[in-house]
Amino acid sequence: MAIDHKNPFILLDKVFLTPSTFVLQFSRNGMEFKAGQSLSVGLWGYAERREYSIYSGEKDDFFEILVKIVEKGKVSKALSKGKIGDRLNVYGPGGFFVPSKEEVAIKNHLFIATGTGISPFRSIIRSNPRIRYTLLHGIRTVKDAYGLEYIPKERYITCVSGQKAGIFQGRVTEYLKKIAIHEETICYLCGNCEMIYEAYDILKEKGFSSDRIVTEVYF
Amino acid sequence: MKYFLMNIGCAMNQADAERIQSVFNGMDMTKTDKEEDADILGIVACSVRQKAIDKVYHKIHEWNTWKTNRSILTFVSGCILPDDKVKFLKKFDLLFHMKDLPQVPDMIRQYGIVTPLAGKIQPPKDSMNESNETNGAQDYFSQIAPTYTSTFEAFIPIQNGCDKFCTFCAVPYTRGKEVSRSSADILAEVEKLVLADYKSITLLGQNVNSYGLDKPGEEISFSKLLEEIGEIGKRSGKNFWTYFTSPHPRDMTKEVLTTIAKYPVLAKQIHLPLQSGDDKVLIKMNRNHNMDRYRDIMNQIRTILPEASISTDFIVGFTGETEEQFNRSLAAMQEFRYQMAYISPYSPRPGAASSSWADDVPHVEKKRRFHVLTQALEETSLEYNQRFIGKTIPVLVERADRKLGYLSGRTEGKVLVRFASEDQTLIGQFVNLHITSAVPYSMEGDLQSAC
Repeated sequence: MAIDHKNPFILLDKVFLTPSTFVLQFSRNGMEFKAGQSLSVGLWGYAERREYSIYSGEKDDFFEILVKIVEKGKVSKALSKGKIGDRLNVYGPGGFFVPSKEEVAIKNHLFIATGTGISPFRSIIRSNPRIRYTLLHGIRTVKDAYGLEYIPKERYITCVSGQKAGIFQGRVTEYLKKIAIHEETICYLCGNCEMIYEAYDILKEKGFSSDRIVTEVYF
Repeated sequence: MKYFLMNIGCAMNQADAERIQSVFNGMDMTKTDKEEDADILGIVACSVRQKAIDKVYHKIHEWNTWKTNRSILTFVSGCILPDDKVKFLKKFDLLFHMKDLPQVPDMIRQYGIVTPLAGKIQPPKDSMNESNETNGAQDYFSQIAPTYTSTFEAFIPIQNGCDKFCTFCAVPYTRGKEVSRSSADILAEVEKLVLADYKSITLLGQNVNSYGLDKPGEEISFSKLLEEIGEIGKRSGKNFWTYFTSPHPRDMTKEVLTTIAKYPVLAKQIHLPLQSGDDKVLIKMNRNHNMDRYRDIMNQIRTILPEASISTDFIVGFTGETEEQFNRSLAAMQEFRYQMAYISPYSPRPGAASSSWADDVPHVEKKRRFHVLTQALEETSLEYNQRFIGKTIPVLVERADRKLGYLSGRTEGKVLVRFASEDQTLIGQFVNLHITSAVPYSMEGDLQSAC
């Protein structure tokens, strides 16, 4: 679909999930994307932008991204101060962290995320209601279990490293070591580089070839 | 009125410079190679490399000191990161995005070029916010014809921008999203160049083989584009070599390789950037391919184009790269036997994702890795070149060599060859050379005949 350049991207809503993490909703202007892709977003008038995975679904009328306020992050801080009606600087979509429709229809998926790395999985799940998956979410405290509201309990494994809570107490990679994974499963990893490296090694040890491990490093 | 234009960047920036030149020539201005004579001084810059940016600062500082005695106008364009853009706006009189090139005559007229500097032109409205606009097809390549700087070698931009977001690279922030130029325009430009007897044509793009992917159903594929160029070559009956750079392994298809095999005018030379031989480093680089995938493509190239010369890019000392990971790059260099590799010690670029990670491989270690990899390349490059000793091969003569009494040119596989001759009329022509010796990166030969 062609982009209507006369209609800017407007901030529609901002909902804080924790004091440092919020969902930013803005107009879509007919821009197509595939669940799992990202956008480069900044406040209008500012030079800086940053990539954020799209949090909303392919059929939603708006875009949503999940933003963590980073101490030295100019963009996340600026966006946290954005007001409804503000204009945004949006570029994209881009990225290849996208399960194909054929894969969605026939494969089992293991999604592994840390922190806001859950964002593309929300979009994938929301856009593909029939997808077969289990989501492992590595978080520090249960407050960060952003998936609770939309993922059925039996599919959402919270691995909490900073407190005695959640389904598993410990790091997500420790949990990964303990579980058996069906050999036909496709694994998607999203989050910090350390988790991805560690999970990658564990999956390789479990016999997964590189083409069944898809990664997206957050920075 | 005279203008001076400096390109501090890659072949893509060169293509930009050729179009800027057309705009200035169209305003009845004359190009000068002497900065001191120019009324307008401009730079096509590249924020992707720190060294290039350092040169820009050095140059604009010098030019600004001239302003106390002379009325000059300075401008900058090319690939510029937002951070650099903010700084350049304070130093240059004019900064424009290449997509705004058609508006440059208006910007300059507004300035009142013959008057002393009295105020600055505002950048085009919302120039800091390129995103929404660059999502559209800003096809300045088609709007403005280039002023070619060579009479036998031309660069044709076919695609602009990058959607790949490799973490070490700032191109998506300087060039914007991938936009393919119309194939009709590209093919018309190729036809024109072939008719004008150009011998070397290079198709340019940040991800040149992603051509057409941004316009599904609307534009032809990259392999189809190559096929069309092959057909132009066939119809013309002329001899020329068509190259393309830089492709991304993710989008390299078997169709591209079989098409190259089919047409003599499509050069049997592939540049396939690897960057690292370690899967985890490739993940951190967000390269979207792994070693298995890369190996598959290399095997396809060796099977479909057995005579092809293959070159690559490597980064050594990328953030967090361990000795073991580097050794995998070394193993890859030895496995794939490249004819040429462009090896860069890692340096973080502001704006690129990796700049937020620690640049934790010491400079000395990066240098060591660079030398180790270079040594390995010397072996494979020599091995490739030695196969031509005793053979007679066509070479496109490019220039008078630094060695007095010699000319130099390149083979179809882009290997530099020197030969004894002072006949400058051979420059821009194909000649047959009998190869007599080879060293890493170059060869020497005896002139047999013009082709």
